[in-house]
Amino acid sequence: MALILAGLSHHTAPIDVREKVAISSHETPRVLEELAQITRARELALLSTCNRTEVYVVEGDAPAAPGIWAHLSRRLGGSADAASYGYVRRDREAAAHLYRVASGLDSMILGEAQIHGQVRDAWEASRSTSRAILNRLFQSSLLVASRIRTETAVGRGAASVSSAAVQLAKKIFGSLSGRRAMVLGAGDMADIALECLVSEGVRTAVVANRTHERAVSLVERHGGEALRYEECWPRLADVDVLLCSTAAPHPIVERAQVEPAMRQRGDRPLCILDIALPRDVAADVGTLDNVFLYDLDDLRSVVANNIERRRQELPSAESVIAEEVELYWQWLAGLAAVPVLRTFRSRMDRVREDELAHALKKLAHLPADDRAAVDLFSRALMNKFLHEPSVRLRAASANGHGLAIVDALRYLFGLEPSDSEAPSDDAPNVESR
Amino acid sequence: MIALAHAVAIVLYLAAAGLAAIPFARPIRAPVRSVVWVLAAGIAIHAAALVQFVRIHDEPPLTGLGPALSFAALLVAITLLVVEVLAREVSLTLFAAPLAALLTGFASLAGMVPGPEANGMRGVWLTSHIALSFLGIAAFATAAAAGVMYLVERRELKSRRFGAIFRFFPPLETLDRVNHVAVVAGWLALTVGIGLASSYALEYRTGHAIKMVWAYSAWLAVTSLTIGRVVRGWRAHLSAMLTNVLFAGVVVLYIAFRVIDPLKGRFL
Repeated sequence: MALILAGLSHHTAPIDVREKVAISSHETPRVLEELAQITRARELALLSTCNRTEVYVVEGDAPAAPGIWAHLSRRLGGSADAASYGYVRRDREAAAHLYRVASGLDSMILGEAQIHGQVRDAWEASRSTSRAILNRLFQSSLLVASRIRTETAVGRGAASVSSAAVQLAKKIFGSLSGRRAMVLGAGDMADIALECLVSEGVRTAVVANRTHERAVSLVERHGGEALRYEECWPRLADVDVLLCSTAAPHPIVERAQVEPAMRQRGDRPLCILDIALPRDVAADVGTLDNVFLYDLDDLRSVVANNIERRRQELPSAESVIAEEVELYWQWLAGLAAVPVLRTFRSRMDRVREDELAHALKKLAHLPADDRAAVDLFSRALMNKFLHEPSVRLRAASANGHGLAIVDALRYLFGLEPSDSEAPSDDAPNVESR
Repeated sequence: MIALAHAVAIVLYLAAAGLAAIPFARPIRAPVRSVVWVLAAGIAIHAAALVQFVRIHDEPPLTGLGPALSFAALLVAITLLVVEVLAREVSLTLFAAPLAALLTGFASLAGMVPGPEANGMRGVWLTSHIALSFLGIAAFATAAAAGVMYLVERRELKSRRFGAIFRFFPPLETLDRVNHVAVVAGWLALTVGIGLASSYALEYRTGHAIKMVWAYSAWLAVTSLTIGRVVRGWRAHLSAMLTNVLFAGVVVLYIAFRVIDPLKGRFL
């Protein structure tokens, strides 16, 4: 029996493989049921996102990986072998892997936060087949992710062009709440960037597009007013952020249009985010006082800097993971003593009951209250005797020294190995690893 | 004891600035709590030194070059602490805490002895004037520090450099707000402080030309900034530039007057 993970991710499999093995949320219960039957695992959890499909398993009597690969290969179709695209991690490595995944360290965009919610959802969806060991693993992975986000800079700074646009605007205005934005163009990039700005509290003032209907469509989603290009220039003096994303082959925002607006604005800064290619804003607009002009290269440069700084934080994040994996493993090792202890206590309880019955036969003259008191006394005495050995056995198991003590316990009290290794929901045998 | 407390306060002020500079070395946020606590510890020890001065000399540390500089340093540090606590923003510490350390160091070098005019010139009137004037100068210094940061960050943003300053300086808007509030607070304190001094001079028919020229120059500088900001609607860039030019002018004037002032051992 072992804790293993088998799966594939963007590191090992191309997108056409990943999309075939990806398991949607409505499929999850059925797939978990199938995998449980194939692998005869004691616990199962499934994590499937656009970048990875991973199965976490507490193995039963048989190895689980072949069954998982067989299932994933079926999804690939033909004679393709999913194992050739995947990986298997065992025990501590499996735990460390999930911690990395939940913290975004294994993500395509290092440190991205979305995976945290996806891991939580995966755990929730796998509740029918996960028990103590996987529940604890997933729960601790979420805590580790939070710890890494708090204690390191792995998740800090914008990691996409649209969030970099927000970061730049916030560097000028502080809070963007209540600020006005003008958007030139109504394509997908404008939509995404505007959504980011609106989520920060920006009020969309004006959306201008050559095709008026597309401007109207963007306004319906984010609010504001749809205009044609020629109508928008007088409104420039009222906005704080100008977002340009048209498909125009030449600059459509010239110094001559911005200069009068800046005179009207007094000393108020104007942030121009030009995410169009070719650029929408003439370069000399950026030389105007209080105009902060950024193009796609600038935004990408912000993202690249942030990603590089996130990368520098990896050693700190890895040390948090190593620490937490050790804590998890100590907890897991502590569980190994549980079946032995259970057998030991039940054996001792049987002895107590036999001896108590024998004694009570001789004390038949005693009233019922006194007989109950003798029973209580025998239980209390046994609990007292067994308390210290139980505590010490758990502690020894947690420290990795429990195996010898478990053997000694079996030998001294005549516990059959088969008694203590009977299948149990929360008792992996981890000490042999 | 006063000298030792001053030394400890200097170390703590510099330590606060060092902590605030951590984000420039590692990509993590500044430890705001630690900066605030270290600065507060520096202020407490500095204040203890000045309390000890009062107990020894039986007068507030407002006259004499050393005591006055030490008091000014304490006010700069307190103003900084107030800004840090209100704004939850410690990057101003990079400029203002070393300034407080520098003033405290000069105070120690000048010697913590009361000025010659202290005897016979005590009283609430004089004490209030000096305290408010120093408070006004401390606020002016804070406005100048915010102005320097504004100009540095603005330059970085205009030239599209996204280094440590981009990451860890507060937004331009925040720096502008600190500059605005500090200028207005400085003007209020200096106006009352200098008003008290003028009425004191009239009442007791006393005064010192150099001191009056410097004080009115400082007041004019802050007043022009306040009028510009509040009445004329100056904002951000212009205000930051003028704050720095005028504060530098006031400091240069002070140094020039210190050089030509025949009365040694006084703030002015």
